[in-house]
Amino acid sequence: MSTQHEFFDALLDPARPIPAGLTTWNGSDPAVRFAVYRNNVIVSLIDALADSYPVAQELVGEEFFRAMARLYVDAEPPRSRVLAFYGTSFPDFIEHFPPAASVPYLSDVARLEMLRVRAYHAAECATLPADAIAQSLADVDQLPTSVIRFHPSVRLLRSQYAAASLWAAHQGIEDIATVDPEVAENVLVMRPHVDVEVIRVSASTADFIARLLDGATLGTAVEQANLADFDLRNTLSLLVQKQLISSITTSRGKQP
Amino acid sequence: MPTVISSALPGNGASASAPNLPARAGVGLKPEHFRQIIDTQPNLGFFEIHAENYMVDGGPFHHYLTRIRENYPLSIHGVGLSIGGETAIDVTHLNKLAALIDRYEPQSFSEHLAWSSHGDVFLNDLLPLPYDAQTLQRVCDHIDQVQTHLKRRMLLENPATYVEFAASTMAETDFINEVLHRTGCGLLLDVNNVYVSCINHHRNPYGAIDALAHQSVGEIHLAGFAQEQDGAGDTLLIDSHGSPVAQAVWQLYDYALNRIGPVATLIERDNDIPSFDVLFEEAGQAEKLLQSHTVRENAA
Amino acid sequence: MSSFTMTQKTTAAALALAFGAALSVTAAPVSAADKMADMEKCFGVALKGKNDCKAGAGTTCAGTSKIDHQGNAWSMVPAGTCTKTASKTSPTGFGQLVEFKKKKA
Repeated sequence: MSTQHEFFDALLDPARPIPAGLTTWNGSDPAVRFAVYRNNVIVSLIDALADSYPVAQELVGEEFFRAMARLYVDAEPPRSRVLAFYGTSFPDFIEHFPPAASVPYLSDVARLEMLRVRAYHAAECATLPADAIAQSLADVDQLPTSVIRFHPSVRLLRSQYAAASLWAAHQGIEDIATVDPEVAENVLVMRPHVDVEVIRVSASTADFIARLLDGATLGTAVEQANLADFDLRNTLSLLVQKQLISSITTSRGKQP
Repeated sequence: MPTVISSALPGNGASASAPNLPARAGVGLKPEHFRQIIDTQPNLGFFEIHAENYMVDGGPFHHYLTRIRENYPLSIHGVGLSIGGETAIDVTHLNKLAALIDRYEPQSFSEHLAWSSHGDVFLNDLLPLPYDAQTLQRVCDHIDQVQTHLKRRMLLENPATYVEFAASTMAETDFINEVLHRTGCGLLLDVNNVYVSCINHHRNPYGAIDALAHQSVGEIHLAGFAQEQDGAGDTLLIDSHGSPVAQAVWQLYDYALNRIGPVATLIERDNDIPSFDVLFEEAGQAEKLLQSHTVRENAA
Repeated sequence: MSSFTMTQKTTAAALALAFGAALSVTAAPVSAADKMADMEKCFGVALKGKNDCKAGAGTTCAGTSKIDHQGNAWSMVPAGTCTKTASKTSPTGFGQLVEFKKKKA
């Protein structure tokens, strides 16, 4: 067995003895010094999760969060040397973590937080200004078969809980006491410019955008929309105003 | 409103495209300080980033770094290459590094004499190495591979360590000098690490400075440490980067400048990050010492 | 206009109309979002860089104590802002210790 393999195993499992062959100048127990490395690894990774999931941490308190994060680090240490997205599967872990079952919305709030991290670091992409969109409207008959592509930061969360309101309550926007966690919410996350934005949208708007994100044509997305509470104009206004549309492709070619 | 600004600032602008880091003080670039730096254009020699933080597709990190890079020299400091690892160098990671270097054309690229990955798991810590022939060969092979791939010379940083290995057959300074000699890479002399390791292993920090190959030093790091105790109650220093540079480290730095001459010097702070002004002031301390040694050198 | 009568032609007309309105609203000085019932908030919170080369404080025991996730060895309960919300799906409510079995991975 290699030196580093033994070192590695002992780092991640405090129940193991420390690796053989470690020395100290004063003959003191090397385990005390080895503990510095154990702490560095575990604490830095827990810190990385706390940075990505600040609202989840506030919801359950620091002590609970860090203990839960510790178990996640054990189960899912990073496989990438880039820590920006470490903990992408943490919301799934939370969802199946029995001690957190009393906070059923915790995993969705965490999902929203990771979507924000993803949007924050998403690629740059030029989006269509209003006049370019107006150009692609010139041929009205082409509109139903047109496909919209979005800015790479655009992401959608469908939650059976009030994930956006709960998140907003921790940004000084809403009072958490007035939030009913059981109300389903749909959230659009985007970074059209430098800042990440979070917008709560109706279920029908979310359906419509989800279909477009899947590559459906505008016509299909409109025809499948639940017209009872779908406001096409407001939905398109949102996409236009936030400059989320990067291209509109018709069957006759890309516009503009 | 006519205001006279910044034309009097030396260093900025013209030096952003200089071939090397200037022998001035720089500061580790933190997202918390992006806007202030762009708004106030502080008079600093350079900024340094951790490479891995910028291995993302887009967004504010690249937006602000691009703007800051227009006005300052840049050092890219890797923390994830695992140069000392028994696992092979991750070529995917090396490619990302190459892309980052192509994009920002930094004056300097540096990494650590340490390992941080095993198999496909990244441990996010700089772990210690035994100083023996086998490790020497591996470290040199990996540095050769990195320098070849990146088509540039890199700097290697001396580590802060908390344990030593019975398997070691050479002193850390001899090991480092041999790596520099065999690979042609430069030395990022972390004066705080020299101090931390020497206290932790009961060695003389001034002797360590004396022993290292002075002509190879391309950059100096300064940072603060935390103080703990080991199992025998002796002092154990932790390379925490969470406090101002200690007085003992300033003294050792002064001594190092005496031996080496003025070299680009970074103030590192990664924990409990203070306002930018605090770091700027600390960089000013380093700048003063650098200037006093420049004067001395010119007078000599 | 209802969905079952909506042909490609009427879909096209509806889209053109809606887009036209969306574009004209965008050109107006008051933002369209202000008129929407939907909540909208914008944040410029800067994320930190997560890769660095610091060491944590050596005294913390997080890396050296084993947290046991089995049975009632787990004694912590969520104790943050979640205690300020009510949840119908939680018969035990918040702040109560619930014993549980380890979930198989």
